[in-house]
Amino acid sequence: MKIYDMDKKCYIEVQKIDNASSKIEQLSDALYCFENGIFSIIYDKSQPFLVEYIKSLDQSILHQEDMQFLYFTSGTTGTPTGVYKKRENSLKQSDALLKTIKDGKFNRVVTTVPFVHIYGVDIGAIVPMQLDIDIWVKENFLPEELAIEAEKEGTLIVTTPVFIKALNRIKKDVKFSKSLFLTSTSPLPLEDAIEFHKHYNCSVMQLFASTETGLMGYRKDNEEILTAYDGVLIGEKDGMLNISSDLVTSRILSKGVIKNVEQPFQTEDIVEIYKEGKFKLLGRSSNLIKIAGKRISTQQIETIIESIDEIDAVLIKVRRDDRALKDEILDIYVESKINLESKKLRSLFKSYFGSINIAYKIHNNIKVTRSSVGKKIGFKEI
Amino acid sequence: MVTTTELKEKIILGLDLEDLSVDEIADDMPLFGDDGLGLDSVDAIEITLILEKEFGVKVKNVEESANIFATPETLVKYINENK
Repeated sequence: MKIYDMDKKCYIEVQKIDNASSKIEQLSDALYCFENGIFSIIYDKSQPFLVEYIKSLDQSILHQEDMQFLYFTSGTTGTPTGVYKKRENSLKQSDALLKTIKDGKFNRVVTTVPFVHIYGVDIGAIVPMQLDIDIWVKENFLPEELAIEAEKEGTLIVTTPVFIKALNRIKKDVKFSKSLFLTSTSPLPLEDAIEFHKHYNCSVMQLFASTETGLMGYRKDNEEILTAYDGVLIGEKDGMLNISSDLVTSRILSKGVIKNVEQPFQTEDIVEIYKEGKFKLLGRSSNLIKIAGKRISTQQIETIIESIDEIDAVLIKVRRDDRALKDEILDIYVESKINLESKKLRSLFKSYFGSINIAYKIHNNIKVTRSSVGKKIGFKEI
Repeated sequence: MVTTTELKEKIILGLDLEDLSVDEIADDMPLFGDDGLGLDSVDAIEITLILEKEFGVKVKNVEESANIFATPETLVKYINENK
């Protein structure tokens, strides 16, 4: 297996790179650490809030001898959660995925995703390492460029719904018959998967996973129902999915404290369960949005805006537009002595989240209504 | 000839930048990065789709796009030269 840098048009060495920032550096460093059993902390260094948060933690407890990676993700309460993964978690996950794509013949992986979360590292890097095929990486892709790569026989593409939707919109007159697209399941509407399959004569497999659980299930092309991966046991409690498998994390870092994780692991995904490991995803109970591959909780955004002196309360509702590449738009309802200006909000977001452009609409002159226990339940116009 | 105002209107609409007005986006304002409009990689893909759909202009590779997507001015120049 080798790494091909598509920007520089050359192969690069797998090596240890401290403070890896570009996609190619992140990949090289993650693979080096994995190959040599070196513990590594993986997170998105372009998010100032996350960088500061990790710096603020007691560094001596972060390194856990028996673990391979510590991933940081945005927790549902707005505080980032650290998720530890063992080497075996990644290897077994890779095996589970490979069983489902064993009919394909692949000679390389092209990945559009960064290597700052489990999807990028485990699927975009460790799977090709297991297959012993080259990884082709570019810092940024345009849909036209990805189409050229997908036309080449035996290409396994690791990407996100953004590219599937974008390729559907350009409707290029080409076929990707001998390639396979893998995509994360930040929602790719079924009709987009069907349209893609039909137009490009190519399969798209959606992987349903989370950092804590690893891979849970998958669906292909026109399938609406997910199938649990081999060795993944699914169940439900109060309509929400729980998971038992070798891929689930055994330890997390929450609010600076390391905790062991019991199985079954309770997710916040609302599901309907059928026979033989089949299930349907109905929604999520938590308010997490996903922007440019980054997961942020709306509660965290509310807290950030409420830190402005003149703002009394903020309520955020997420509006979906499945046809848009950025399919989640925030309606921000503001109770305040002043009008919250867009310019101020943009600069605030930039200072917390770096180069992510969040789609939003501000609604000023609002009174946030609360329940008897103080929970925000709605709003009314003043 | 496409004007920067027309382009900005399409960008505001296409990227859901509902809170921004055309006047708030200067012709020479960087579209990406910390000092300008602060768009991200998904917005870059959306802009290539807007160029194709609204103006019939294709951007084929990222190397090319880095200069083209610098500011509204550079984008309009590219559109008018390639329309």
